[in-house]
Amino acid sequence: MLTEKRNWGWHILLILIILAIMLPVVFMISNSFKTLQESYHSILQLIPSNPTLGNYLTLNKQINLLRMVSNTFLMAMIVTLGKVGTGLLAAYAFQNFHFKGKQLIYFIFVATIFVPFTTVMIPNYLVIAKMNLLNNVIGVALPQMCDATGIMLFIKAMEKIPSSLTESAKVDGIPNRRIFMNIIIPLLKPSIISVGAIFFINSWNEYVWPTLVLKDKSSFTLPLALQNYISSEGGTNFPLAMALAVIMIVPPLLIYMVFQKYILNSISSSGLK
Amino acid sequence: MLNNNSQIEKAVNSRSGPRVSRKPRGRLLPFLYLLPSALLLLVFMIVPIGYTFYLSFFNWNLIAPTKQFVGLANYVNVFTDPTNQKVILNTLVYIVLLVILNFIIPYFISLIVNFFIGKMKGPYKILFFIPSLFSLVVGAMLFSWILNPVSGPLALFLRDFGMKVPQWTNSGAMAIVVICLITNWKVFGYNFILLLTGLGAVPRNILDAATLDGIPKWRVIWNIVLPLNKGVAIYVFILTIVQGLQYVFTPINVITQGGPYYGSSNLLYHTYLNAFVLYKTGNASALATVTFVIFLILLFIEIKFVEGRKQDAD
Repeated sequence: MLTEKRNWGWHILLILIILAIMLPVVFMISNSFKTLQESYHSILQLIPSNPTLGNYLTLNKQINLLRMVSNTFLMAMIVTLGKVGTGLLAAYAFQNFHFKGKQLIYFIFVATIFVPFTTVMIPNYLVIAKMNLLNNVIGVALPQMCDATGIMLFIKAMEKIPSSLTESAKVDGIPNRRIFMNIIIPLLKPSIISVGAIFFINSWNEYVWPTLVLKDKSSFTLPLALQNYISSEGGTNFPLAMALAVIMIVPPLLIYMVFQKYILNSISSSGLK
Repeated sequence: MLNNNSQIEKAVNSRSGPRVSRKPRGRLLPFLYLLPSALLLLVFMIVPIGYTFYLSFFNWNLIAPTKQFVGLANYVNVFTDPTNQKVILNTLVYIVLLVILNFIIPYFISLIVNFFIGKMKGPYKILFFIPSLFSLVVGAMLFSWILNPVSGPLALFLRDFGMKVPQWTNSGAMAIVVICLITNWKVFGYNFILLLTGLGAVPRNILDAATLDGIPKWRVIWNIVLPLNKGVAIYVFILTIVQGLQYVFTPINVITQGGPYYGSSNLLYHTYLNAFVLYKTGNASALATVTFVIFLILLFIEIKFVEGRKQDAD
């Protein structure tokens, strides 16, 4: 066997890696409950000696937290529903029909994954500006409502559905939209959940395109708000910024806790060709 | 999967309309399903690529009503302007660092987890992946805290040993390293899982046979496992470059804004700077087109090795 028992050295290395990537997050949470003074003097004290919600209250006074959370949620929700919806429909077309130019169309779709955002950002900015959607989360969401990654993942999930199932339904004369709605979608539920969860988390964290579209502070999403709390000249109030970051990481963490298995399976299958 | 039959029954019972298949409409039907995604990709991907290419032949400032045709001047500028040259060089440095940090190291760790530690893979997968859930803005904030030369935890720790954290934002090279480390924090677990999944697909019995023959483990990995896992590895390799160059945009914009003196900028950030800060739309479009061509070449490498391999297997 390739695996052997004496492997404590490797485990120690792996645990050190986990500490290296997780400790900053743990200290971020801890410091968000300290005052600026305390965080400076007891920077590595894990449990704050006088835990305070002060940073969160200050944040809520300085920015409209509720509005930013709902902006971010709305944007991520529109993007997710769009990507899942268009992805399912397109995957069904590729998986269940034979049509002219199928290979070419599929190739073009997948190739869009490799298009750098800088190549499309200027025209997209002009279109969104023309549509009067600047400073509007819909303007952020609209250009991103289709994602070829989703199409690929849904095709992979549909390949696992025995074709006899859809074939026999077709023989019975059941229209495609019913096969799609009543057979495919219910069977694809796990993959819809996991792909949807991944899309939601990615959109929730998105930064680059929103910085172009959202200039007005009242339209900000959480990552843009956090960026405003990080000063490039030093002098960042870290406990305050950390409180905002803690608010940002809670929804993705909750989603991961619930759907961890689904999400990791989807990530795995996205790499296997 | 248990409710397959009931699903069919439901579909059968709820069907309306005649049993005869409708041929003329049937031919258009797949395109109907493709319509939403095709329309979105056309309007927000394919047409913009063409329009950016078109804009690259003009001098424009994003606002003025007229554009001045300048031929290939913007492209000449891409390769002759000293700032652009610096930025292209930086992009190569980024690629090398990203490949080491986000591809080679995760690959090494995934080999260890797959072949050297037995059945404990689950917890490592779950924990390594966690930073992938967080925004790069959070990562940028955390690293600028940890590495803060005055009040950061590393500076306080090193002070006890009489050492200092350098002002890394004042040095392009050091800033690039930190920026790459931030993306490494985020994508390490993601790439690790992709590579580990690929390794899991390598047939166990080949390995066991080779080990029984007394061939050392690392040679088995080098001569058998790595070639067998080439498809997944090249996919992650290309992804590391394509995604990585876009991922570094966030920490660059949050921490250095490309500075000092474009020292930490790369092709993508410089494109953004030209387009939306300096309002040199033509320059930005030429830079964007060059980036697009580079990514296209990477796409063809990916197809040649990864998709090609799939067809062989079929």
